[in-house]
Amino acid sequence: MATRAASVSATDVVRQNLRGKKFSFGGIVFEAFLLLMLLTALAILVTLIADIVAGALPVFRERGVVDFVTSPLSLAGDTAGVSTAILGSVSLTAIVALVSFPIGIGAAIYLEEYASDNRVTRFIGTNIRNLAGVPSIVYGLLGLAVIVELVDVIGLGGPGTTNGRNVVAAGLTMAILVLPIVIITATEALRAVPSSIREAGFGVGATRWEVIRHHVLPSAAPGILTGTILTLARAFGETAPLLLIGVATGFFSAGAGASFFDQLTGKYTALPVVVFSWSRQPTEGFQDNLAPAAIIVLLVVLFTANAAAVLLRNRYERKW
Amino acid sequence: MTASERTDEAEAATPPVDDGARLARRVELPDRAPPHQAAPVGELVFDVRDLSVFYGDFQAVRDVALPIRQNQITAFIGPSGCGKSTVLRCFNRMNDLIETARVRGSVRYHGVDLYGADVDPVEVRRRIGMVFQKPNPFPKSIYDNIAFGPKIAGYRGNMDGLVEESLRRAALWDEVKDKLKQSAFALSGGQQQRLCIARAIATSPDVVLMDEPASALDPIATLRIEELMYELKKDYTIIIVTHNMQQAARVSDRTAFFTVDVRDNGQRTGVLVEFDDTGKIFTNPGEQQTEDYITGRFG
Amino acid sequence: MTTPHHEELRHRFDEDLHSIRMDTVRLGGLILENARRVSEAMLENDLDLGQQVLAADAEVDKLAAELERHAFETMALQQPMAGDLRFLVAITRMVYELERTGDLVANCAKAHAHGDGFALSPRARGLLAKAAKASSDVFAKGIEALADMNPDAGAELDRYDDTVDDLVSEFYTLLPTESEGSGLENAISLSRVARYLERIADHGVNVGQHVHYIVRGEFPGDARAAD
Repeated sequence: MATRAASVSATDVVRQNLRGKKFSFGGIVFEAFLLLMLLTALAILVTLIADIVAGALPVFRERGVVDFVTSPLSLAGDTAGVSTAILGSVSLTAIVALVSFPIGIGAAIYLEEYASDNRVTRFIGTNIRNLAGVPSIVYGLLGLAVIVELVDVIGLGGPGTTNGRNVVAAGLTMAILVLPIVIITATEALRAVPSSIREAGFGVGATRWEVIRHHVLPSAAPGILTGTILTLARAFGETAPLLLIGVATGFFSAGAGASFFDQLTGKYTALPVVVFSWSRQPTEGFQDNLAPAAIIVLLVVLFTANAAAVLLRNRYERKW
Repeated sequence: MTASERTDEAEAATPPVDDGARLARRVELPDRAPPHQAAPVGELVFDVRDLSVFYGDFQAVRDVALPIRQNQITAFIGPSGCGKSTVLRCFNRMNDLIETARVRGSVRYHGVDLYGADVDPVEVRRRIGMVFQKPNPFPKSIYDNIAFGPKIAGYRGNMDGLVEESLRRAALWDEVKDKLKQSAFALSGGQQQRLCIARAIATSPDVVLMDEPASALDPIATLRIEELMYELKKDYTIIIVTHNMQQAARVSDRTAFFTVDVRDNGQRTGVLVEFDDTGKIFTNPGEQQTEDYITGRFG
Repeated sequence: MTTPHHEELRHRFDEDLHSIRMDTVRLGGLILENARRVSEAMLENDLDLGQQVLAADAEVDKLAAELERHAFETMALQQPMAGDLRFLVAITRMVYELERTGDLVANCAKAHAHGDGFALSPRARGLLAKAAKASSDVFAKGIEALADMNPDAGAELDRYDDTVDDLVSEFYTLLPTESEGSGLENAISLSRVARYLERIADHGVNVGQHVHYIVRGEFPGDARAAD
């Protein structure tokens, strides 16, 4: 009798406790606060972009995107375009790729696959990571002090008064800047390859190089590729070193009839630098419209590169 | 009627009963030597003496000596940490890949010192194949998985034929013959492991080492691998490390029991306790330690 | 033993079980031949044949020991379950039955040799012949049940066994007369032989019962006892 009464009341208690939602005031406030933070951040970004778009819109509406992108630099507000700058940035990025990728990926392969794990290699690894965090202006100083001289001395100094302050020097400086990042991303991609694959390769009688070439690199390739795209995007948008090395705000080439070599080693410009200089130009239209328009072009390139990297990563991750 | 008379009547009516000879002839006998008779002792494939393995200062294995004979399945059993995998990996010099590993003693393969200065470990691994605990096919097609080993070994013959032969021997051909170009990861776990076996035998080794090949598989897949091993025995010498005693009992001809020897300073080193015919190990082992392990009195 | 599924696994184990069964049948066949031989020896008063029987028994004992060892080893190595386990346990019991049968056959030969042969009146001789034949027939039927894995041989075996018992009883009734004719020792030897023949038949019945146990999972009497 007693137990039956007890069990009945236990059921009642449970029923009571399970039903009805508890009203947690603190929880709701906290959630609202977080949402507010998110909206604030979004609002800031949206305002920023809206501001730039508003500034750039007249340019695109009057002249069209194509005209803007294909017109060279000029001091006149209604004909100035970013074609020179894009050309310069592209050349710059190409040099970065050509120099930093082989060196960086090669170094990563050696560190990850061949070198033994001891204090020396760990020390090297730490320092590479530190270098990745060095502010880019430091690389600019390095570029100015060393690379520019080097380029001049070996005969790539360029025509006239360029004296080595050309896209070659800038490219080399940028390459050094991104080198640690390339090494790090490549190392991560190589590390992500399961060691069981390597073991299997050795197990059927492959040499270390054969294992790397046929199994490790193909597996790590998507990761390395993603990393390189992001690196190039970074190099495309980096500004401080370029300012130091002394970028022309004028034309790309040394003159209309100059040779390709002279063009390559002569004065040049790049897109971020154009943004910088236009935003300080007092001429009508430059600060308010042209600079934002150039920023839009820069952003489009960066977003596209990032999107490509993400797409690639997703595509190859599924394959596994 | 007396019993005698009844018998006479009955006999007239019934057919004669088989006698012993006819009885014996009626029953069929498979056309091979009964399994329990010991097969003729084969050639010595591995001769191990005083084998010790160190990882840096830590001694993983101490003074192991055992002979491995041709076309037999030898099982290594013992509790975890007793060094069975370490010893196994000495047979194909996989321990070379671990930087701090040092191998002392002698491992002779068909009379040749495996760790001799002029021996190429890459060639060793072609002749002594390995199957790992977790199936690890290359992230390539089924065909390319098998073809890789022979290709880098310089095989110039009919690759299609070699791939088919390897898959047949691994009892996988019928299941994959229509999808050789598909990714190896599309296969089930048991199929992937059989693919790894096919990959290992594609380089025409004479020894196949198996490091707990079925521990990641379900029971049916495990039994299929065991069936396969029984078939492979005809052409290969097999050494298997297993933490599953019953598997060693079902499958092997000879069994080596390893255990962990704990010294006063706390160092744990693997040692070989007993090595004998599997039948003897599981019915009447010579060492008390073996008996304790087999009967589950000590893990 | 196990019903085949869509895929055959454990070939080695199945081959092992098959060879154990065949070895047991073959052992039974050997003993059966010995039984027929000893019967001939007793009836034809052939002492040499009797000696052969004794020699053959040594072989029987050796094979029985080997068979038992094989069964034990298979149990240790293959972890048998259900029908496989019943089979192997039953085999070790049957090996005992067979070995005892072999000993009984040898005992007949010894009894025969002890008295330098039997003196048999024609009637006794006829009855002895029938009893010996019936006895080894029962044994043969038991072995046959194992060869066929026939669980239902039991009923037939019982009938035959009854016949043996009846024949042996009839034989006993003759013995007083025999002892008057050819001496007490002779009669005692004959009574021993009759007893051996009866027990040989009993062992045959037991073998049949063991086969029933392997296939059905219980002995023939159990179900009836439960009713």
